[in-house]
Amino acid sequence: MTMPPNSSDPLFERIRGLSEKDRQKIFKVFREKLDADAVAYLNSCVHCGLCADSCHYYLATGEPEAAPAAKLDLVNKIFKKRYTLLGRTLPQLVGARELSRETVGEWVDSLFGRCTLCGRCSLSCTMGINIFSLIRAARSALAAVGLVPPGLQSTVDTAIRTGNNMGISKENWLETVAWLEEELRNEVGDGRVRLPVDREGARILYAINPREAMFFPLSISAVGKIFHAAGEDWTFSSTNFDVTNYGLYNGDDEAAGIMSGRLLQAAKKLGCSELVLAECGHGFNSNRWQAPEWLGKKSGVKVRSILQVVAEYIRDGRLRLDSSRNMKIHTLHDPCNLVRLGGIIGEQRYILKHAVRNFIEMTPHGEKNYCCGGGGGQLAMTNFAKRRIEAGKIKADQIQKTGAAVVVTPCHNCIDQLMELNKHYKLGVEIKSVCEIVADALVIEPMKTNSALPAI
Amino acid sequence: MAILRTGVFISLLASLFLLTLQVFRTLNFGRRRLHSEAHGNRWKGVAYAFGRGMMPWEKESAARHLPTYIAGILYHGGIFAAIFWALVLAATIHLPRAWLFFLQVALAAGFSAGVGLLAKRAIKPEMRHLSCPDDFIANSLADLFILSGLLASRIEAVIPVFLTVAIITFLSMPLGKIRHCFFFFYSRFLFGSYFGRRGVLPGTRPAKP
Repeated sequence: MTMPPNSSDPLFERIRGLSEKDRQKIFKVFREKLDADAVAYLNSCVHCGLCADSCHYYLATGEPEAAPAAKLDLVNKIFKKRYTLLGRTLPQLVGARELSRETVGEWVDSLFGRCTLCGRCSLSCTMGINIFSLIRAARSALAAVGLVPPGLQSTVDTAIRTGNNMGISKENWLETVAWLEEELRNEVGDGRVRLPVDREGARILYAINPREAMFFPLSISAVGKIFHAAGEDWTFSSTNFDVTNYGLYNGDDEAAGIMSGRLLQAAKKLGCSELVLAECGHGFNSNRWQAPEWLGKKSGVKVRSILQVVAEYIRDGRLRLDSSRNMKIHTLHDPCNLVRLGGIIGEQRYILKHAVRNFIEMTPHGEKNYCCGGGGGQLAMTNFAKRRIEAGKIKADQIQKTGAAVVVTPCHNCIDQLMELNKHYKLGVEIKSVCEIVADALVIEPMKTNSALPAI
Repeated sequence: MAILRTGVFISLLASLFLLTLQVFRTLNFGRRRLHSEAHGNRWKGVAYAFGRGMMPWEKESAARHLPTYIAGILYHGGIFAAIFWALVLAATIHLPRAWLFFLQVALAAGFSAGVGLLAKRAIKPEMRHLSCPDDFIANSLADLFILSGLLASRIEAVIPVFLTVAIITFLSMPLGKIRHCFFFFYSRFLFGSYFGRRGVLPGTRPAKP
C-alpha cells in the first residue's frame, strides 16, 4: 500500500475499520463474480511477466507492482487461498494470502489506482487471460463494502440520483439544447434545423456524454449538423440523455444496469428503433456490450455508435464532405473501450479518410493502441491523478512522434485526458472529436430542402 | 525397473484424471449465457488465438521478448520430448537411431532454454517480485525432468532416475503451476472467443464501415 498507515484519506480510514462482516461480504461478492471462465483464467497465469510492458503504467514507471501479472496476482492470491489445495495447505509455496486489511488496501491501491481496465495486457498475455475482467470482479467486491475511491463513487451516485453523471437538471438540459439549436440555425443558415427533444416515433434516440453539454457544446452541434445534413429522423430524451456509465468502472453491476436500463427504456418509450451513442468509449462498451449482461436480457433496440452511423451516411452518399477544409496533419487516438473492447476499428478511419486531407496513424494503433490513461474511472479518481498523468506519458510520446497538429478521438473521457496531457507535456496539438471534424468538412447548401425533416 | 515403468503410466493417468477433474470443478463455477448480440465471429477469433495470434509479428510481447519467446517454445518442446521419452522407455519401445538423435537435440535445447528462463526469473527484480516458490520449483523440476531424460538417452544407468523424476513431475502437474498445461487451451479459447465475438480479432480490418 502506498498510503501511509496513519493516512487520513477516508478510503484508507474505511479499510482500517473493516469488520469481519465486511471481509466476508467482499469475499461473497468476489465469489459471485467468479464464473468458470474467470476461474480458468486464474488457474492459467504462469507469472511469465511478458504482459508487463504492454501496460502504460509499467512502461511509464517501471514499478513491478504496475505489471498486469502483479495486479492479477493480488486477486489470484486470495483465490488460491480459498480454492486450491496447495493454497489452503501450503500458502507460502504458491503465494496464497488471506483477505485481510492489508490485501484489501493493496487491492484498492493497485486495482483502482494502477489500472484503466483498457485490456491491452490481454492481447500480450501468453495465456490470453482476460485480466481486466478479473480486476473488475475485484472492484465489484470492493464496491460492495464502499471501498470505491470517492470521486468515482460520487459520479455513479450522481448518475443514479439525477439521471446523468453531472447532475444536469432537465431545465438546464432543455435550455442548452434550445441555445445550441439557435446557434446551429444561424451557422447553417436554415431556420428549419432542429435539435429535437422527446420526439416520439423518431428512428434514433441519440445519447450524449453530459460533459458535452457542460464543456463541449460544439460536439453536440456537430452531431446535430450531421443529422440535419443526412436528413435523419432523430431525437434527444429530455430525461435520459447520458451515454456514460461509471458502473463499468466501479464494478457495481446493479447500478450499471440501472443506468443502461434507463437509456434503453427511454428509447423504447419514445418508440425509437435505434439507440445511437455519442463518442464515448466506455459508454459504448457499457451500453452496447455490457448492458444486456447486466440486465440479463437482450437490449430490445439496436445499439450503435455514432461512428457507425456517420460512416454509413458517407457510404450511402448522405453526407457531402470537403476534406480540404481539414488540411492540417491529423492523427487518431483509439479509445480502448470502443476499439479493443468494442470492435469499432474501421469506421473512424473510413470517416477520417473522407473528412481530412492529411492523416497519419499512431504506432501502434487500432486494437493494439496504448490507453491514454484516462479510462477505468481514473479521471474521476483524484487521489490517483499524479499516476494518471505519469502513465499518460506513453500516449504523449506516441502523439509527438506522429508530428500531427490535430489529435482526433471519439471519446470525451479520452479528450479530457489528452487535454491534460497536451498541457502537461506541452504537445501543442488541437484535440477534437470525430464528429467535430466531420462537421468542419460538411458541405451544406443553405436553405436546402429536406423532406425528411418536418417544418417547424 | 518394472515398478518404475508401471509407475510412469499410473502417475500420468492419475495426473490426467486429476487435471480433468479440475476442469470439471472449474466448470462447476457455472458459465454465464451471453445476451449481447455478436458483432464478429467467435470462431475466427479462436482460430486467431491458436494461430496467428501467437506469432511474434502479431503478438507484441513475443516480438519485444523474442529470446524469451523462443526459449519458451524450446522449453516446452523439451518437456513434451521428455514426456514422450519417458513413455517410450516405460513401454520398452526401441527408438530408431535418427529419432533418438532428434530427441536428444530437443531435450538439450529444452534444458538450455529452461535453465535460461529459470535464471531470468531469479535475476530480474521484476520477475522475482512476481514469483512465488512454486514458480521456481516447477521450473526446476521440469529442468531436472528434461536433463535426466537427456542423460538417460546416453547413459542407461540414469534411466531409473529419469523414470522416478517423471513420476514426480506427473504427480505434481495438477497441484502447482504446471496445471497451466490444461488451462492454456481453455484460456486461449476464451480469449479468442471474447475478442472474436466482439469483432476485434482477428486483426485490424481495412477502413470501411
